[in-house]
Amino acid sequence: MYEIVMMDTGLGQLYVDSLNVNDTQQLLCNLKQMKNVVIGSNRQKANLMLCGAVPRLLNIITSEKSPAVLVECAIILGSFAKGSEVTRRKLLEEGVLSIMLQGLAHGELKFVEACLRFLRTMMTSPSAPTEILHQDSTIIPHMIQLLPQSKCTQECIASILATCCKNSEHQETLCRHGAISALAPLLDINEDRIQLPTLRCYAALAYQNRNVSSAIASTMHNGESLLQIFCRLLNRNHSVAMQLTAAKCLSYLCRAGAVAVDDPIIQFRVLPCLVRMCKKDRSVEEKVEGAETLAFLIEEDIDLQRVASITDHLIMTLAAFLRYIPEATNKNEDLSTEMKQAAFKVFASLGANEEDIRKKIIDTQSLMDQIEICLSETNPKVQLSAVRCLHSLSRSVQQLRTSFQDHAVWKPLMKLLRLGQPDELMTIASSTLCNLLLEFSPSKEPIVDAGAVELLCKLTASQNTPLRLNGIWGLMNMAFQAEQKIKNSILTSLGTDQLFDLLTDSNVDILMKTLGLLRNLLSTKQHIDSIMMSHNKQIMTAVIMILEGDHPPDVKEQTLCILANIADGHSAKDYIMSNEDILKKLTYYMRIEHVKLQIAAVYCINNLVWTEEDGATERQAKLKEYGIQKHLQALLDSSDTVLFDKVKTALQQFSS
Amino acid sequence: MASSKTLEITQEAWLDKLQSLHITRSDMNKLIMDYLVTEGFKDAAEKFQQESGTQPATTLDSMSERIQIREAIQEGRIEEAIGLVNDIHPELLDNDRYLYFHLQQQYLIELIRNGQLESALEYAQTNLAERGEENAEILPELERTLALLVFENPETSPFADLLHPSQRQKVASELNSAILEAESRESMPKLANLLKLLLWSQEQLDAKKVKFPKMKDLAKGEFQGPK
Repeated sequence: MYEIVMMDTGLGQLYVDSLNVNDTQQLLCNLKQMKNVVIGSNRQKANLMLCGAVPRLLNIITSEKSPAVLVECAIILGSFAKGSEVTRRKLLEEGVLSIMLQGLAHGELKFVEACLRFLRTMMTSPSAPTEILHQDSTIIPHMIQLLPQSKCTQECIASILATCCKNSEHQETLCRHGAISALAPLLDINEDRIQLPTLRCYAALAYQNRNVSSAIASTMHNGESLLQIFCRLLNRNHSVAMQLTAAKCLSYLCRAGAVAVDDPIIQFRVLPCLVRMCKKDRSVEEKVEGAETLAFLIEEDIDLQRVASITDHLIMTLAAFLRYIPEATNKNEDLSTEMKQAAFKVFASLGANEEDIRKKIIDTQSLMDQIEICLSETNPKVQLSAVRCLHSLSRSVQQLRTSFQDHAVWKPLMKLLRLGQPDELMTIASSTLCNLLLEFSPSKEPIVDAGAVELLCKLTASQNTPLRLNGIWGLMNMAFQAEQKIKNSILTSLGTDQLFDLLTDSNVDILMKTLGLLRNLLSTKQHIDSIMMSHNKQIMTAVIMILEGDHPPDVKEQTLCILANIADGHSAKDYIMSNEDILKKLTYYMRIEHVKLQIAAVYCINNLVWTEEDGATERQAKLKEYGIQKHLQALLDSSDTVLFDKVKTALQQFSS
Repeated sequence: MASSKTLEITQEAWLDKLQSLHITRSDMNKLIMDYLVTEGFKDAAEKFQQESGTQPATTLDSMSERIQIREAIQEGRIEEAIGLVNDIHPELLDNDRYLYFHLQQQYLIELIRNGQLESALEYAQTNLAERGEENAEILPELERTLALLVFENPETSPFADLLHPSQRQKVASELNSAILEAESRESMPKLANLLKLLLWSQEQLDAKKVKFPKMKDLAKGEFQGPK
């Protein structure tokens, strides 16, 4: 083997050296020879590049005038680009991209085409440096201008633009330079190689962009709207790839609000087309793309979820995705993970809202087992999609009580959460855990036993806001009607410093959940007294801090409810009664023009004045001093019946 | 659902039906012309045009590049054919490495045919070994070809079929159809599609256990089956 490579390199050097000739005809001939050696062979490409072919070719391109020579050089570089990923990386290092981009300004169409073919190959490769196209603001408008030149320019430019349009800024740039109407004539050309990349480009433009999507939807071409043209391309006389891509385009437009969800075209054409793409006679790639597009289309619409769930045995079809075993060739390894991922995505979308659909999914044979297995997969993408699916299904109260009990999905879930990364996976996994910790969920107990408290406390200290939120949310769910033991362990694990950090969190949701946690901790008299005995200082400080802070009414209401809970204890009452500051705040909230806050404050007073309880007389007397009875009487004018009833009950306690 | 009695159609009834179907001579001629043009038989197409007066769908001049390539292969000048393909479609052989392998394989066969065994061995080592590494599926084909080297008279070896002109024809057709596809043109003659349709229909009838006169030998167009 060694010998062969040596010999190759020797010949390779001859080819490269042969380019050092002055005679144009001879140069052309030598270039052609090199081209024929390079095309089709990755080894020869690597070999010639090792011999310094690239700088030599670039040198010729930048100094040569003969169009024929330029074309051959660009073709050879284009063939290099079709080599391995290593080859492409080397081409980038050697600065070929910018020279080829400059080539687009050349007058010779054949040279421009060769440059475009090179660029298409580079840009559609896995590690494409797509950003480069956006670095020079003249490139995109120039490419759009080149579109009508030839079928080759159309085919290449549409592909390049489609892969280089990756965010809203790109979408708007393309839109501003007239890409939408410039691409339209390409849809008239009845050839897949042109129509397909054009459709892909429209899809890339429309994806999650309302402005650009509505611009596409309102564009006319030859008296027909683009939407009508897309619909036509859905027809079954077109290739499968075309139907699929047209469906994708319309799905993206629909999600971006440019086509109404209840437009019959979505329900009767696009959705069935995508379901058809998942069928067993389609190729694996088509199935994956079809399923993923379908998952996206129906993600937020309950009607589409309903229709999809009963279209042509979709759930069964998708279940088969999970059992897919790739044929025994080396490159198919990825495909089974793609299949699983796609199926889980659709399941997650299907089950997002409707209980019946969730039940149907969960009842599908061996599906829950598959989810369990995939949660422990090594492939992060499969893991993520399995967790997403589980998350969607865990929204179901009924299923939490049944299937989730039969399958200990929480085990792999906890294991996964212990790994602590990546953030996206952790967010969904912890959110799922929150659902599993709801009070009616039978999984709650074993999860707590498995160390969930510590895990969730750790999450509340995360830098990532959604993770902090899920951490505190989980603790709140866990504390609801929990035993004293669990409550104590939450307080101990979390620590008061952390609790204060959460109460000063800039995110309102986190603040609300933290207050919710406090409220859940402070329930049932015995627990209230015990917790207040050990933590009264910190809790009262926190309450005052929130009540004095600049917070929305919801937050204040929740805080007043905490006070009401404290007032529900025995010994705990004293912490309020002895705190002048708090008593003043209660009177303040009774007078404030906000019914919900008034109700919460009166609710607290109620708990303090209850006659049957020890020390009621003293408390009533003290509250009178603060003018609370008078304030209560003033509230009897309230038109709110809930407030009125609460005020009346409180006053009755005073008079008796 | 399925009726217990299987459907049976006699040859007589079948032929009667066939006879009642009238296909015009001009349609037939168009079919032949389409075959000649698609497959790149330019001379034959010109002759046929003169004799039958049938007009080809595209001008025959646009066929010239494809014809040059076909002729080169049919005459064993594979390197020339590769050069021509790379001139008109520089991405084709990079994109379709299997097709390129068949061209390289044919080049090897030509070397063996000419008795240049050492060159053949060297060519296989430097060029074809890479193909095998890239794609294990081609190894059996490669082995068959290299086996020709073992025999003193490859023409009488079990792999002699590779040396038959039909092998060149096969490669030429494969390349021809790839070129047509790259140009977004019909890559298959209509006649070939019709034959495929015929075979498919017979398969469908078989699957439904229908007894009917079956066309087994497509070249002769003879029926076999229930009298």
